[in-house]
Amino acid sequence: MTMPDQEQEKTPGAVPAGETPLATPPVAAAKAVAAAEEVSSQYFFGEPLVGFDPSEITGSLVVIEGMDGSGRSTQIALLQEWLESEGFAVQTSGLRRSNLVGRDIDELLAKNAATRLTLALMYATDFFDQVEHRILPALRSGTIVLADRFIFTLIARGVVRGINRDYMSGLYAMALRPHLTFWLNVRPETAFGREFKKAQAINYWEAGRDMSLSHDLYWSFIRYQTMIKREFEVMAKKHSFLELDGEASVPAVNKQLRQRIGEQLGIRATKYTPSAALAHLWR
Amino acid sequence: MENLDVTQKAPRTEPTKSTLPQPGRPIPSRAYPGALIVVEGTDGSGKSTQLYLLKRWLEIGGFRLHFTEWNSSPLVKSATRRGKQRRLLTPTTFSLLHAADFADRCERQIMPLLQGDYLVLADRYIYTAFARDAARGCPARWLRNLYRFAPIPDITFYFRAPLEVAVHRILSGRPKLKYYEAGMDLGMSYDRAESFRLFQARIMEEYDKMVDTDNFVVLDATLAVNKLQKQMRDIVASKIDLKRFAPRLQESE
Repeated sequence: MTMPDQEQEKTPGAVPAGETPLATPPVAAAKAVAAAEEVSSQYFFGEPLVGFDPSEITGSLVVIEGMDGSGRSTQIALLQEWLESEGFAVQTSGLRRSNLVGRDIDELLAKNAATRLTLALMYATDFFDQVEHRILPALRSGTIVLADRFIFTLIARGVVRGINRDYMSGLYAMALRPHLTFWLNVRPETAFGREFKKAQAINYWEAGRDMSLSHDLYWSFIRYQTMIKREFEVMAKKHSFLELDGEASVPAVNKQLRQRIGEQLGIRATKYTPSAALAHLWR
Repeated sequence: MENLDVTQKAPRTEPTKSTLPQPGRPIPSRAYPGALIVVEGTDGSGKSTQLYLLKRWLEIGGFRLHFTEWNSSPLVKSATRRGKQRRLLTPTTFSLLHAADFADRCERQIMPLLQGDYLVLADRYIYTAFARDAARGCPARWLRNLYRFAPIPDITFYFRAPLEVAVHRILSGRPKLKYYEAGMDLGMSYDRAESFRLFQARIMEEYDKMVDTDNFVVLDATLAVNKLQKQMRDIVASKIDLKRFAPRLQESE
């Protein structure tokens, strides 16, 4: 009746940018539309964000993705120090840090009160609030934004819970396209050891316990993170992730990150040793 | 005891294929036994009054029904309030927060009730989001995708009133329009009443676009309340097999 099946064809917004040209506009307008879409797909995955002019971006958006225990936060702390010592302004972002709903999501997770779809949409709200109130203003002022996770984690989490893949990527069609996306790839078994060491326990959500995969928490964790990893593998190709071996030592991973980011920002010498405050991370 | 078994209907078996909302796949109304009736229209079109009267009619008749309102889930209430008070909401986050709210209601109330053979009456539905968020500039395609998990209504009543009538009803009845309600976030006018008028005009334009694509039953909201209600009841009775929702037989007597 209202939203018939052909609707799916009418919504290629669901398709991440760069896939299919959106529509076939009339000849007269075709050029302008094509040009506008090229600009928009350069900055966004699909649709342009409402009321935002992408030409104002002077900073760089660097995303670090990877499963729990892949070493993202450690690397981001080190990169921030390195970039600041090089004279760059740095802003970080991550999941559940928005003023709008960050705390509400914490509460929902603690109470385990929301269904998968509600949770996915709350995370999307959290994401876009940060994009609009934190990331975009920073990028406009020439700041380097280091994002601890991005839409890819959020898409993967939805997809492994049975939410349609097109639906999830359509949700993030208006997300900014990062300048660099790194993927710290680790085996779930390694991640398990690291996560356990951090908290002496395994978190309910990190083990995907809402999915009833196994009553054995170790296997629940491994199966859940393996599913997430598979989704990352799918996206890695599509979105040209820069894959790094997250099992290598912290300095080795950091060196690779600095080299690639240095290239992006025009930093020639990428030598770095952490200050005393961060020395404990350098192992 | 044996007699009882004979008179009772055979229990419905659980469908082997999941009929729970599959985000990304619209749910046709044949996938569940219940029925969904929706009212839509701009503020001041009288739709809530009409749905209330329809509900009373059905309640008095003893039909199994549930009434649900747009934007009523406690889950996101605090976030919405905070966002509105501090004016944090942008067209995108405004839209997403309402979608989260709707998803919660859809997964925890609307779908289970439709599965459980209830008549569900909804005061505003996804078309409110399509009209209002598109009026704020959200891409139509993105919005359609966002709500793809929603079951399709059996009847969608669209209460259409001329802009001036609707605007007058609201402006004369309310001491002060709220910031987002008046569409002040769009920066169309510094005057709240004027901003509200412009915003409502855009919303109405969006509603009108959906009349054909989404099978709206258009009702003239300027008609007398009781006349309108009669039309509504006639349409409901003709389109929905109400007997299905009649009180269950007291077969044990």
